Amino acid sequence: MNINTPIEEREFKIVGKSVKRDDVLEKVTGEAEYTGDVKLAGMLHGKIKRAAIAHARIKSIDVSKALAYPGVKAVLTHENVPRVLHYGSPHPRSASCTKDQYILDDKVRFWGEGVAAVAAISEEIADEALDLIEVEYEALPAVFEPEDAALPGAPLIHDVGPGGNLVLDPVRVNRGDVEAGFAQADFILEGTFSGGRPHPAYMEPNVCIADWDGSNKLTFWTSTQTSFMVRGILAEVLGLPLTKVRVLVDHMGGGFGAKQDCFQHEFLCALLAKETRRPVKMEFTRHETFVAGRARHPCKVWLKQGFKNDGTLVARDMKLVYDSGAYGSHGPGVTIVGTTAATSLYRCENVRLEGRCVYTNTPINGAFRGYGVVQSYYALDIQMDEAAERLGMDPADLKLKNVVRAGDIAPSGHPIVGHGLEICLQHGIDVLDWKSLRNRDRTPDPKRPHIRKGWGIGCEMHGSSAYPGIKEQGNATVKVNEDGTVTLLTGAAGLGTGAHTALAQIVAEELGVRFEDVGVIHGDTDVVPWDIGAFASHTTYLVGTAAKMAATKVRASVLERAAMKLQVKADELDLSEGKIFVTAEPGRFMSVAEAMGPSRGIPAANIVANGTYEPTKSYSFAAHFTEVHVDTETGIVEVKRVVPVHDIGRVIHPIAAQGQIEGGIQQGIGHTLTEDYVIDKKTGRSLNAGLVDYKMPLSMDMPDIETIILEAAPDPGGPWGAKGVGEDPIIAIGPSIANAIYDAIGVRFHHYPITPEDILKALREKGA
Amino acid sequence: MRYIRPSSLEDAVGLLANASGKAAILAGGSDLLVRMKGGFIEPDVIIDIKAIDALGRIIENDDGFVIGAAVPCAVLGENTALRNAWPGVVEGARLIGSKQVQGRCTIVGNLCNASPAADSVPALVAAGARALVRGPAGSRTIAVETIPVGPGKTSLAPGEIIEAILLDKRQRHSGDAYQRFTPRTEMDIAVVSAAVNLTLNDQGVVEKARVALGAAAPTVLLVEEAADILVGSRVDDGALERLAEACSAACRPIDDKRGTVEFRKKVAGVLAKRVALTAYQRAGQK
Ligand SMILES: Cc1cc2nc3c(=O)[nH]c(=O)nc-3n(C[C@H](O)[C@H](O)[C@H](O)COP(=O)(O)OP(=O)(O)OC[C@H]3O[C@@H](n4cnc5c(N)ncnc54)[C@H](O)[C@@H]3O)c2cc1C
Repeated sequence: MNINTPIEEREFKIVGKSVKRDDVLEKVTGEAEYTGDVKLAGMLHGKIKRAAIAHARIKSIDVSKALAYPGVKAVLTHENVPRVLHYGSPHPRSASCTKDQYILDDKVRFWGEGVAAVAAISEEIADEALDLIEVEYEALPAVFEPEDAALPGAPLIHDVGPGGNLVLDPVRVNRGDVEAGFAQADFILEGTFSGGRPHPAYMEPNVCIADWDGSNKLTFWTSTQTSFMVRGILAEVLGLPLTKVRVLVDHMGGGFGAKQDCFQHEFLCALLAKETRRPVKMEFTRHETFVAGRARHPCKVWLKQGFKNDGTLVARDMKLVYDSGAYGSHGPGVTIVGTTAATSLYRCENVRLEGRCVYTNTPINGAFRGYGVVQSYYALDIQMDEAAERLGMDPADLKLKNVVRAGDIAPSGHPIVGHGLEICLQHGIDVLDWKSLRNRDRTPDPKRPHIRKGWGIGCEMHGSSAYPGIKEQGNATVKVNEDGTVTLLTGAAGLGTGAHTALAQIVAEELGVRFEDVGVIHGDTDVVPWDIGAFASHTTYLVGTAAKMAATKVRASVLERAAMKLQVKADELDLSEGKIFVTAEPGRFMSVAEAMGPSRGIPAANIVANGTYEPTKSYSFAAHFTEVHVDTETGIVEVKRVVPVHDIGRVIHPIAAQGQIEGGIQQGIGHTLTEDYVIDKKTGRSLNAGLVDYKMPLSMDMPDIETIILEAAPDPGGPWGAKGVGEDPIIAIGPSIANAIYDAIGVRFHHYPITPEDILKALREKGA
Repeated sequence: MRYIRPSSLEDAVGLLANASGKAAILAGGSDLLVRMKGGFIEPDVIIDIKAIDALGRIIENDDGFVIGAAVPCAVLGENTALRNAWPGVVEGARLIGSKQVQGRCTIVGNLCNASPAADSVPALVAAGARALVRGPAGSRTIAVETIPVGPGKTSLAPGEIIEAILLDKRQRHSGDAYQRFTPRTEMDIAVVSAAVNLTLNDQGVVEKARVALGAAAPTVLLVEEAADILVGSRVDDGALERLAEACSAACRPIDDKRGTVEFRKKVAGVLAKRVALTAYQRAGQK
């Protein structure tokens, strides 16, 4: 390990232990309050009328029948909502942003886009009223594939942007001399790759409630990962100061990145409440989470690489085209992150990359775990396996030879800290006895000769923060109460990952109190410090460091206070497990409560401190080793066993980290084998917008996952070297499955999902 | 909309006969409620048959089994005698949805919902199961395969209720089996499925066979050519290959988002082979 800045080593009392999360009991008993559980007196229900056409101009909307329908209180259309062009993703002035949305427009850009909204006294009435709204459309020619949208003369979906249906100007990265690199190559591999449109399918459908008070202040409950961003965009679009918008979010049923967007329903809910002067709730149906939610960008990748006969990579030329859907949303961020990621993973000095993001008349794609990198590393990692085969090498050896090392320049432009990926790969090779796996029988069961077994490796690296696309800031406020307990205030959302537990552990550890003594206040923008949102695998890394900084400060203040009471100097004191003692004389001590509380002539203390942290980026690493069984008669691929080896620096809560890894693998298995949100290429209609025909693997489909977490390359950017883990697992699992399928049946797939039909067709073509 | 929960079959038949508007029978509700919520049907009267004691029982008598129309699939699976006699039928019923769904759903509901992909129907058809139907004009007993006539449509006359499913007493050396193809292992809809029911003679040669395919045509297919191939064989490799071909050829599936014609034909043959082997092994053990 090669770490530039020393990381403080210490004996940990709370960090590194799987303490009991304090939200689990209320969640398993059903007592936890989610946004959908909130009911306000006089609350109305909002519903959105959605277009049944993919590209059209609205000639007229007649809402008179809907307005006259008993129980209906308000109807909104593009004619009576503010016309403000606003951001597609909620990160103003960041690289991941484009301004191309109106709350409601006189144009429809995808099948399922909202064209009107109704508030009524019940959900049923609101629903029925939607059918009474009469919309007359003038159909426009539509495009459903990026290739078609990019053709000269293709119908333009937006007036804004660089033109030609591009969401942003092409992202170009050039390092070294690619032509010179290819000239040195002993052989060149070239291929095209593509990815489907997997959907996050979070358990809790999008939901929000808006309530305006007599002072014209909006209180807004919403299931969001980015409450301060929602506050900002609502205030901007509604023309309000931030003091007049309060956003609340307590528990969430997942988000996976997709709940960090500027959603049409959120604006409409606030406006319906304003119009009716009553609270309004809007809750998506499962169908709406597909058509009006956000999926992963379908992507086409062309990849050409040059290799020397010793396995050295000498040139990489890559073009990526991401399908943004009808709006930009996170398209720019995804394109930048996914494209620049391909500078790294496997070392190569001569790199030329071009990433494009194109509008189509399909539902919006947005932020989603793995943010553009799932697509680019799928191609990189599969082509590495192909190169190994061409060289007659074991893919493990070729990958080991080429993976990034300490000091290599990461996609962010920083030198990489530690040999994390090399150590993960080597560790997996050793514990699995990989070499002997390679030599075993592919059809070990003579009674089931149609079952073929294979093993594959997938590698990944991913940053803990959105830097350099967004310069992030993490904030925390820590207060010590007069009974010795501690309150942490954080703006970080609790998607269900256990982040608040990890933050409390960090505060308790740094301060020297018990974990149970730390309470976490979150999810109220009027109360907690500003936060950028929970995304980019950064909460523990970013907010964790801020929390640690705040804890360091209050610790010093607590010791000052105790010093006064104990009549010693503060630097003679130590604090551990809630006890303050004289280091040289441990018999002289007092509790934090005694230090904080009042005594004769001394009032109780008010000790509060803030921590603010503005990081660059750290990288986490993983190598996944995956065993599949392929049924060559039905084409079914069963993922039997996964050994994910991750380096995430210092582990704060092992079970929570393991949960992230297992969940990411399960989600990635779905994306690689069964999940694809299908849009009809003739009409733009969604063909499987629901959980009956959008096939997520369920608990019975989950393989044996033997998670190995290494602390091989702690990064000074995070608390005691901690790094992110949220997105990493979903990136490595895909190529490991595709490579394992090849190992089993000798057929290469360059796309996902790889369906049973694909397998049978390929086997037939191969003549097996 | 009215919801009625009669306690006798006579009352249920009477209510159904007298219902002026659209009436629906409610068993487990796992199809009916989904269809109502989806806005596909809007019954005026719902007649819940779960309070009719006689419909909640499984009776074994000299003729075989009488499975009441309100018996949930989970209960069906707990009946040891039935499981031993008709493992394929039970296999089909226990593939429906999940544990939770099986706590509610019935095989009669599965049959009357008339989905070509219904999981319990191919094995019932292969088993030669019959339905006891009660209506305003009295009772009749009909083969289960005559009940679904197309997706979502049955041959039941207005006012008719299925009282029970009848399965014959099991002969010696008999066995049945059911398998489906789905992209995942639970909570899924069969892309294609197959059931085989066999009776062997003392020498282990197939004497009687029935082969049924699901999701391969608008209704479950009883493939007689395939059954003929098995009769007289010991379910050897040659017979299995011809069985697979016959099943693939008999399929008349559609192309849809769940599977193409080509895929369904191929996998129908593969599944038929697999269930034939299992049925043969089961038959040999008895
Ligand atoms: C989550 C989920 C998963 C599912 N998975 C599967 C699956 O894997 N495989 C599968 O095959 N199906 C599946 N289904 C569909 C459904 O569960 C089955 O078809 C089930 O067997 C229906 O039985 P039920 O008793 O619930 O029927 P109900 O919904 O009560 O009734 C279904 C239909 O039959 C009629 N009916 C019911 N009883 C009678 C009677 N005695 N006489 C005349 N008509 C009657 C009803 O009026 C209605 O039209 C699933 C459903 C859900 C909700």
